[in-house]
Amino acid sequence: MTRSFVNIINEWDIVAARQLCREFAKELGFGIVDQARITTAVSELARNIFLYANQGIIIVEKIEKDGSVGLIIIAEDHGPGIGNLAKAMEDGYSTSGGLGAGLPGVKRLMDDFSIDSEVGKGTVIKTAKWLR
Amino acid sequence: MDFQESLLWKYKDILTKYLAVQSEQTLYLTQKLSKEILENHIPPEEVINLHKSVLNELIPEVPSEVLVSFDILLEIMMSYGLAYLEHQSLRYKQMELEMELEFGANMQKMLLGSAIPKYDYLDIGAISIPAKIMNGDYFHFDIDSDQELKVAIADVIGKGIPAALCMSMIKYAVDSLSYSKHNSPEVVLERLNRIVEKNVDLGIFITMFYGSYNPKQHVIQYASAGHEPGFFYNKKENSFVDLQAKGLLLGIDPHVTYPKFEISLEIGDMIILLSDGVTETRTEDGFLEREMIIDLLNKYMHLSAQEIVNNIYRDLSKIQHYQIRDDFTMIIMRRLV
Amino acid sequence: MNITVDVNKTDGNTIMKISGEIDAYTAPKLKETINQLTKEDGKNVVIDLTDVIYMDSTGLGVLVAAFKKIKTNGGSFILTGLSNRLQRLFTITGLSEIMDIKGESK
Repeated sequence: MTRSFVNIINEWDIVAARQLCREFAKELGFGIVDQARITTAVSELARNIFLYANQGIIIVEKIEKDGSVGLIIIAEDHGPGIGNLAKAMEDGYSTSGGLGAGLPGVKRLMDDFSIDSEVGKGTVIKTAKWLR
Repeated sequence: MDFQESLLWKYKDILTKYLAVQSEQTLYLTQKLSKEILENHIPPEEVINLHKSVLNELIPEVPSEVLVSFDILLEIMMSYGLAYLEHQSLRYKQMELEMELEFGANMQKMLLGSAIPKYDYLDIGAISIPAKIMNGDYFHFDIDSDQELKVAIADVIGKGIPAALCMSMIKYAVDSLSYSKHNSPEVVLERLNRIVEKNVDLGIFITMFYGSYNPKQHVIQYASAGHEPGFFYNKKENSFVDLQAKGLLLGIDPHVTYPKFEISLEIGDMIILLSDGVTETRTEDGFLEREMIIDLLNKYMHLSAQEIVNNIYRDLSKIQHYQIRDDFTMIIMRRLV
Repeated sequence: MNITVDVNKTDGNTIMKISGEIDAYTAPKLKETINQLTKEDGKNVVIDLTDVIYMDSTGLGVLVAAFKKIKTNGGSFILTGLSNRLQRLFTITGLSEIMDIKGESK
């Protein structure tokens, strides 16, 4: 198992994405706390897709670099996109509406984080965590 | 031994003791440990996991239902952990902003700073204290090429940073207008009015009193753009009257003109100028009345002009429990000879 | 310390009744409400200040900005219910000469 995905169409798909990524992390050898962190991050990303883009996809993949092993989560949608990325990555912005951890939270939970978004086209977020 | 290791060791020790005897002393040790945990930025989910594994180690026969129940707690604590990290980063950002603001305030002090001049014919005292970090009030003294003393006091309507930025602009306009002896007070205000109207956004307006003191005749000519009226003290009659003036705030109508007034001073007479931060002082039972300022002026009359304004500021800020709500500025000029 | 703004619209006229304190903390809320009113052209706005307990210069700034905007858009702007203290504020600043202030001071 090196790559799996879940289509996010309704709220239950968020649970499926959580489940998939938790299992994936467990199999790679992540500890219970890191499993929870990865799952929380996936949950946030899937929820953003469900709330703002209507539908999209969550992909999880095993990655290797310089002898380290990890996983990467890719969240992709063709929704409205994020107009002000700087603002979306700011603390206290997305959380103020009680939405949860927001993108800064995802970034904190994981090791690597990148985001590409174009208004009217959609958003791609890639975030990775490495086994220590 | 790194902190993770020592934490595991200490936690095991505490939990062992507490499972045996539920003593307050152990709880106190726990409280101390929790401070160490925070100092080392250990997130709460990590602590839950630690508890779960230590518990399992100490009591191998613990029911698996109890162990899995911690998964729920761990999930919940995840959000608390994130909130805590966010709080840390916002606090750091706030510290940065405060530092920046302080730099700004110091720079403003330097930019707006007007030395209080000393003459043998006039005793001058002045004070200007911002309610927050930045000052939206401003005073200015200058001597023109005819040796007349120019005095200005201004208040930006609005507070904080926008007011302060606006004041910096006004200062340079006043500086350049003050030096020329051809600019009598009403002309200065009319020119400033056009500058403010052109350059400042809707919603920011300025009140200003501008005067020109002739040291040979001891006459002050002045004009006011909607500024809080000052007082004139007549020593012979020992009486205070409002400094008569009339004129619209700066920045509303570019075509407005300002009437000029004048008053001559005998030895011992005083001109008292103030900003509305003085008159808007809140007292226990409502607002400060102008009579109270007169009472204070009478009380400190025997002191030098600078001591009078210092004492009045001290008394009025005391009434407000040292939390003034508006920028406070006061100037006193007393004819000496 | 709070402020309430009641807006009452009757064909072409808007009556705004402000109650409470207008200072640096409450002025943004007032500004927001007034801005929505001044967006449209040719408005006739009456602002009733009878129940204003306190207003500092920040509040004055908001009212003046609204006055300028409404005048530019060809509307009318009337202030009513000024206390002695408020009346004095408008007199000192010279605003009473350019603004339409109705009613005797209380």
